[in-house]
Amino acid sequence: MPSEAIITVTDLYKTYVTDEVRVEALKGVSLDIARGDFFIITGRNGSGKSTLLHQLGLLDRPTSGTLILNGLDVNTMSERERAAIRVRELGYIFQEYALMAELTALENVMLPAMMTRPMAECRARAKELLDRVGVSHRLHNLPRQCSGGEQQKIAIARSLVNGPAVIFADEPTANLDSIAAQGIMELFRSLNSDENHTIVMITHEQDETTYATKLLNLADGLVDTYA
Amino acid sequence: MPEWRIPFFLILRHLRRGSKWTLALIVFLMAIAFVNMVFASSLFNGIIATSNANVIETYAGNITIYPNAKDDFIAHTDKQLTKIRAVDGVKAAAAHYQLPAASMKFKNIKSTFRLIAIDPDDETRVTNISQKLISGRYLEPDDNDGILLGAQVTGNEEAATRSFKGIKVGDSVKVTLQNNTEKNFIVRGIFYSNYIEADYQTFTTIKAMQEVAPYLRNQASSILVTVDTPGTETRVINGLKARGVTGDIHPWQDSAGLMKDVTKSFVSIDVILSLVATLIAAVTIFIVIFVDITDKRSQIGIMRALGVRPYLIHAVYVLQSVVYSVAGVLLGAAMFFGILVPYFVAHPFALPMGNAHLVVNAGNFILRAETILWVAVFSGLIPAVMVTRMNMLDEIRGK
Repeated sequence: MPSEAIITVTDLYKTYVTDEVRVEALKGVSLDIARGDFFIITGRNGSGKSTLLHQLGLLDRPTSGTLILNGLDVNTMSERERAAIRVRELGYIFQEYALMAELTALENVMLPAMMTRPMAECRARAKELLDRVGVSHRLHNLPRQCSGGEQQKIAIARSLVNGPAVIFADEPTANLDSIAAQGIMELFRSLNSDENHTIVMITHEQDETTYATKLLNLADGLVDTYA
Repeated sequence: MPEWRIPFFLILRHLRRGSKWTLALIVFLMAIAFVNMVFASSLFNGIIATSNANVIETYAGNITIYPNAKDDFIAHTDKQLTKIRAVDGVKAAAAHYQLPAASMKFKNIKSTFRLIAIDPDDETRVTNISQKLISGRYLEPDDNDGILLGAQVTGNEEAATRSFKGIKVGDSVKVTLQNNTEKNFIVRGIFYSNYIEADYQTFTTIKAMQEVAPYLRNQASSILVTVDTPGTETRVINGLKARGVTGDIHPWQDSAGLMKDVTKSFVSIDVILSLVATLIAAVTIFIVIFVDITDKRSQIGIMRALGVRPYLIHAVYVLQSVVYSVAGVLLGAAMFFGILVPYFVAHPFALPMGNAHLVVNAGNFILRAETILWVAVFSGLIPAVMVTRMNMLDEIRGK
């Protein structure tokens, strides 16, 4: 059962200023994500979902507020320290798959592990994960040779390669057909329930919210509902 | 430091799987930039080398001995020649006796040119005038009225202001010396050395000289010396002095006259052109790498999101630039030595100081290759640093 808080967010603000236009994307968001949660964020376009995910995933820095990850205040850390945390503790899945075009499926999955592990171990782990997500037949294929669903599975395998504490997924099924999307969601369910991975995911699809153990709905940068 | 595998890992995959056409185009651009840097320098080297060779082979030998300042002639020329030929490193020596010609006349054209009496056999050992005949024949030692005319004297070239235009082998030239002695010489041959100062000269034999200026016998106006090994002039000059050879001894560079200034100008122009070529190469390479990196912003953003540190991303693009530049230098060198050098050997540049082809100075060549390499390193590093300082999310979105 989820219990221990892995992410604690308090009064998080993010303001963008572009061409003298000030946009308050987050206006004081507070939340807790416990280890083993399947945390789904919903909301209309422009509600601040992606901005919140980027702050949680250390891809961006908030304007103010605190973000505690695994007991560490990550907002006060240097970029170098945050990069080290991204490698060791966080996994990412992007809407557009974000695979390296010149690397095969196997190499894409190996890449984050190569920061810290021996080559043979990276390769073995990547093979194991590609097999786990069901694309072991695409080991030596380039992303362009794979379907959208397969590419997203490769991205999921890549997000798992360093054994992250949290996996962040930004609308991972948005570019997939319904069958492929369901396959991805089932994979997430399995990773969450069978292997106790903490997953933080954004979605627009109402039926995908049924997978959530916690559901956050944002509206205009504020928490609308949180259950 | 396992993370240092990443740049090499990515570069190898990029070379293997990236667009071959793009790769070929970039390497070709690098090669052209390199050839552009090497070409002007090699051309100037070629012109300078040709000019130097012409000064030595047609005009001054490696070393020229003049009379001492207080003398009009080199006294006891024969003894001096014997001493000179005995010096270690000397290949040959030949005396030049300049006749004090007041004027030369061909038909109604009167002009003044240097008339030098030579031993034709000795001369063939120090200059190549005998091989530069464009009509007629070379002088024989016992010829007592023959004369050789340089191409500038005959008006074959436009530079001579008052030349014997239309003169040909067999025509007669009347020479009047300063003491009013006159002699008709028959044109035996016309030579064209392609070195303008040499082609303004005329030659006759010592035997002919003895008829009109017997007092000059054994009193040379200069002695030309060639050495066994080019570049040993200073050592040989020291040897000549040690052997008691009298006279004012100069290496060939001092006889280069106008060409010395031209050579200096070429060196200056070469420096300026090299700087411009380096700048062009730098801008070209920078643009190529910048476009390439800009095109991959999204991939760079992904790498950063995955935790790949910026210095590793910089290393990827520096390494990529090094690979491009090394390949460019190799291709450029192949194009240069395989196409340009042979082409210009077959079709040299015809210049007043001689026919020039491309001459590569190894030091300059390596310096330019190194320049391309460093330019590529910075041209790879700067855009990579610029891109990795962008907002990571903007990079991922390709903004």
